[in-house]
Amino acid sequence: MTDNVLLELRDVGKVFAETVALSPTSLAIEEGSFVAIVGPSGCGKSTLFNVIAGLLRPDSGEVRLAGEPVTGATGHVGYMLQKDLLVPWRTVEDNITMAARLTRRVTAEDRAEARRVAVQYGLGDFLRHYPSALSGGMRQRVAFMRTLVTHQRLLLLDEPFGALDAQTRLEMQQWLLQVWRDTGRTVLFITHDVDESIFLSDRILVMSPRPGRVVADLANPLPRPRDIATLTDPLFNGLKSRIMGLLHGVAT
Amino acid sequence: MSGARDSDTTALARYMTRRTGDGLARNTSRRPGTWRAVGRNVGIPILSIVLLVLVWEWIVVGFHIAPYIAPRPMQAYEAVRGDWVTLWPLVLATLRETIYGYVSGALLGVFLGVVMAKVPFLQRMVYPLLVLSQAVPIIALAAPLVLILGFSVVPIVIIVAWIVFFPVTVNVLDGLSHVDQDLLNLARVYGASRWRTFVQIEIPATTTPLFSGLKIGATYAVTGAIIGELVASNGSSLALYQEHANSNLNTAAVYGTTILMTIIGISWFLLVVGAEILATPWQRRSVARRAWRRRRETALTTAQVEN
Repeated sequence: MTDNVLLELRDVGKVFAETVALSPTSLAIEEGSFVAIVGPSGCGKSTLFNVIAGLLRPDSGEVRLAGEPVTGATGHVGYMLQKDLLVPWRTVEDNITMAARLTRRVTAEDRAEARRVAVQYGLGDFLRHYPSALSGGMRQRVAFMRTLVTHQRLLLLDEPFGALDAQTRLEMQQWLLQVWRDTGRTVLFITHDVDESIFLSDRILVMSPRPGRVVADLANPLPRPRDIATLTDPLFNGLKSRIMGLLHGVAT
Repeated sequence: MSGARDSDTTALARYMTRRTGDGLARNTSRRPGTWRAVGRNVGIPILSIVLLVLVWEWIVVGFHIAPYIAPRPMQAYEAVRGDWVTLWPLVLATLRETIYGYVSGALLGVFLGVVMAKVPFLQRMVYPLLVLSQAVPIIALAAPLVLILGFSVVPIVIIVAWIVFFPVTVNVLDGLSHVDQDLLNLARVYGASRWRTFVQIEIPATTTPLFSGLKIGATYAVTGAIIGELVASNGSSLALYQEHANSNLNTAAVYGTTILMTIIGISWFLLVVGAEILATPWQRRSVARRAWRRRRETALTTAQVEN
């Protein structure tokens, strides 16, 4: 363990009605890294997320963020799901400042920051729009900006692009990498899409169900910055066949 | 009802625009064809009422119905206009009873809905009593109310509130219990307090069901006031006026008063629909109209910084 560890899990486990959702897992996530978690449904990735976010209290083990114990506590991570969860009664700007509105008084600085982020990432013309006027990709971008302005160092993204069409998804992935580069946050990214996990991450945790556990922890050697060409790189294909083998039980 | 349907079609239209579009959102603050929409939404209902009056006229004239059985529309109108000096204060009185009863019923309804949503024990305790309260025939309720409170406006207001609170409670309770759990979880992850989550998420998320309840209540409120007047009013009221006209075989006045009561009921409903439109701009606009409150806040903050 280096000093650079932002998130640390020690033997974190969770059982639901005698089903082991997550067998005791230990992990260390470095500050500033982009870690993908890939696995089939039922492998415990969402359980893992909810434990880290503080929505679920684990049956065993401990979660530490920047050295502080945060097991079962909320309010210390950014969190985004496949559903954008924008509230229809607020404009884009007011949706971006939602975390502030839920915890304290929204200040002029909060609003200025929301506007700045929206302008910077291509939604400046839509600040006063209601979410219903936006396309799915734009809504996810707003949801991500809302996550970003919480100023949490750790962002948990649970299949954020899972509901988008392939084209939009690729655009969003490139957009996310750009934002990640600009802001230096640490990202934990759940997906069941192997290509997505490789395209985005520095490191890939492969999970497996019954019992839910991490079966492999792979470094991603692909150079950055990444673009469409990355998707056909031999390194990409090598990593992909390795992960596919782990997921589907085929030796490679 | 027409309001709810309107917002449905708007949502559908939006959905279709989004689907057929190229991923770019519409940048228009107003839907094209607003005037055509107004024509459709206001013109057609008016036309159907005109048709109803015409059918009434044709039936009375065509079947040679005697005026004391059923008057022609114009005769009913004349009966009301001829005695307007007497009727107008009675209309105001009915309106007053409706307003008092409706507002207190709606407030009580929201209160009960919130309390029941938040305290499951109270929900189990109170819900059966609420259903019971609505199963009691309202006429049977009126008599003891008059015995207790005397002939006055108070039992009338209570009867209106009694009718109005129930749909409000049921819809608020339903709305609060169906707020998206993921959204509530998101608020928790942000570290939001229960109070702020309630004010910022749960209350606004319940706006649509709340207004459903308020609209149902609005259609019944005037009916409740008339029933109350029939049983509890001291001397003069719209209901007693009609009863008097009826016993004098002044059928035109009976019909005229009925129409007057109907107009009060429709106006009340439309008022609530109007309130809903004002309270839920996001349901028919894609861009917020203005942000005066924010501008003022920003101005204040800037002023503070400058000082």
